[in-house]
Amino acid sequence: MTQLTIAIAKGRLQQGTLELLASSGLCDTSEALSSRRLALEDESGRFRFIFIKPMDVPVYVAHGVADCGVVGRDVLMESEADLLQPLTLGIGRCRIVVAALAESYGNSYGMVRVATKYPHITATYFGGRGQPVEVIQLSGSVELAPVLGLADCIVDLVETGRTLQDNGLRIVEVIAESSARLVVNRASYQLKATAVGALVAALEATRPEGDLQSD
Amino acid sequence: MSEPLSKIPDGLRYYSGAEARLRRRIEETAMSVFDGWSYEEIITPTLDYYSLFERGMGPSEAHHAFRFTDTDGRLLALRPDVTSGIARVTATLFANRPRPLRLCYAAPVFRQQGQSTIEWRRESTQIGCELVGQNNTSSDIEVLAIACEVLQRLKLDREYVITLNDVEVFNGVAEGLGFDAGARDQLRQLVDGRNVADLESFLVSYASSEECRAFSELIRLSGRLETLGKARRVIRNARSSAALDRLESLWLIIESLGISDHFEIDFGDLSRLDYYTGLTFKIYIEGAGARVGSGGRYDNLTANFGKSEPAVGFVFDLDALSGLLLSRNHGIMLPAQSEKRAQCVINNDPTALFSEALERRARGERLVIGSSGVKP
Repeated sequence: MTQLTIAIAKGRLQQGTLELLASSGLCDTSEALSSRRLALEDESGRFRFIFIKPMDVPVYVAHGVADCGVVGRDVLMESEADLLQPLTLGIGRCRIVVAALAESYGNSYGMVRVATKYPHITATYFGGRGQPVEVIQLSGSVELAPVLGLADCIVDLVETGRTLQDNGLRIVEVIAESSARLVVNRASYQLKATAVGALVAALEATRPEGDLQSD
Repeated sequence: MSEPLSKIPDGLRYYSGAEARLRRRIEETAMSVFDGWSYEEIITPTLDYYSLFERGMGPSEAHHAFRFTDTDGRLLALRPDVTSGIARVTATLFANRPRPLRLCYAAPVFRQQGQSTIEWRRESTQIGCELVGQNNTSSDIEVLAIACEVLQRLKLDREYVITLNDVEVFNGVAEGLGFDAGARDQLRQLVDGRNVADLESFLVSYASSEECRAFSELIRLSGRLETLGKARRVIRNARSSAALDRLESLWLIIESLGISDHFEIDFGDLSRLDYYTGLTFKIYIEGAGARVGSGGRYDNLTANFGKSEPAVGFVFDLDALSGLLLSRNHGIMLPAQSEKRAQCVINNDPTALFSEALERRARGERLVIGSSGVKP
């Protein structure tokens, strides 16, 4: 029997992913939903779940330590890992945006200082239109940076926009829409083709309806 | 700030003991299989003109080479691949040798890359072969058969999969959509990553929704002979159809050889489109997270060096193979220190010591020189 190891991003997407897996009927995730263990098998033994930080999901899957993973598109854009992305799951929808203090943002021909947790996305986005940027990498509370004058703007993930609003920031550009994706290791995709195919088909049939093409 | 003496550059490493012996054994195994199919070993220069690799691999790949300037100011590179050098020699020095040419090699290659990539070693050894001057199904089968035999001799024959594709299937479709180079490469990346969602939104502006569906269906197609039938229903242009015909005749031979269990057709595999011109294949083995080998047909390569002729070949990554065999603690492939235990030779008189040692070595014995009174 082939066992698939699925890496699940902890935090924002964790619960939704497990619920989606459960409603697909493929596996029982009730223990995974209640337990705090970082690695556990479902009852059938056909799936093993591991829970890791979102940024680490592409790493585990690219190395083949996990066969599949569920992670936001934002993380995939940031990591540029060589992974297969056969399915958008339609959960955890959000946007990657440029946000700035309401009055301050305008076109600049000089250097723009951008605070972000996503240095790669930031460099690619601004680089794509020839805008020189100084990327200031932070690990949280990015919204503070423009308020305190550390940066001219931020690149960050926005779900409701509430945090931005509360800190006097507004969205000035949308870089990309993001939602959770199923990613698959290249070798597993070939060597465990049947199991991976069944997972893709079951999730495709279960994922929430909506405009799946929009991201 | 001074670096500790112990540090070696990132992405480089030592090999010793069982691992070093295993690597040599794998190399020897592969080279003896190549020799069995009458492939002649060729050793290309480790250091060569950077322009060679730009012509041979394309600028985006050559870009990874470590570069130096020669005394005359020309740009040199540590070779990032072996095939470029082989393409040049077949088109120039070997231009008048009878065809086909069968060449093989086992050699280290060097690439600069960030730690983020999974195969981030900056020195790795490629074991490969090239068949130059012949374009037919039988030469494609020949290299595939050689790859299979190498895996079989390494006792890896139960759990490998070789995926087959023909880049002309994709090229025919991209041509039909009238893509420029940039859009074509974007499409290639999306297909290669099986990124259905982004692919469909990308194609919306180029194709009818029916065509988009068909295309995204295609990239998820992988399987056996029936995959070709499914592809034919979706793709009708002449260029792609010819490629599907080639794949089919290849598959039928593989099937009648009784080795088709190890093969799959996979239209999503499009790693290096600017390089390959027909058949491409990738070799996966259970336990290795990345592919262990890849190859294909590159009929335009030697034209870059002034003599256009067809060529097909493949490489195995030695580190991937040895890592796999080591992790499995493979009894047969993992040799003990030696079959024979070393006999210790001890004598306080150096002349007597070495006359005994020389005598025993002449008889082919395995020995170790002991320091007086201390067995090593």
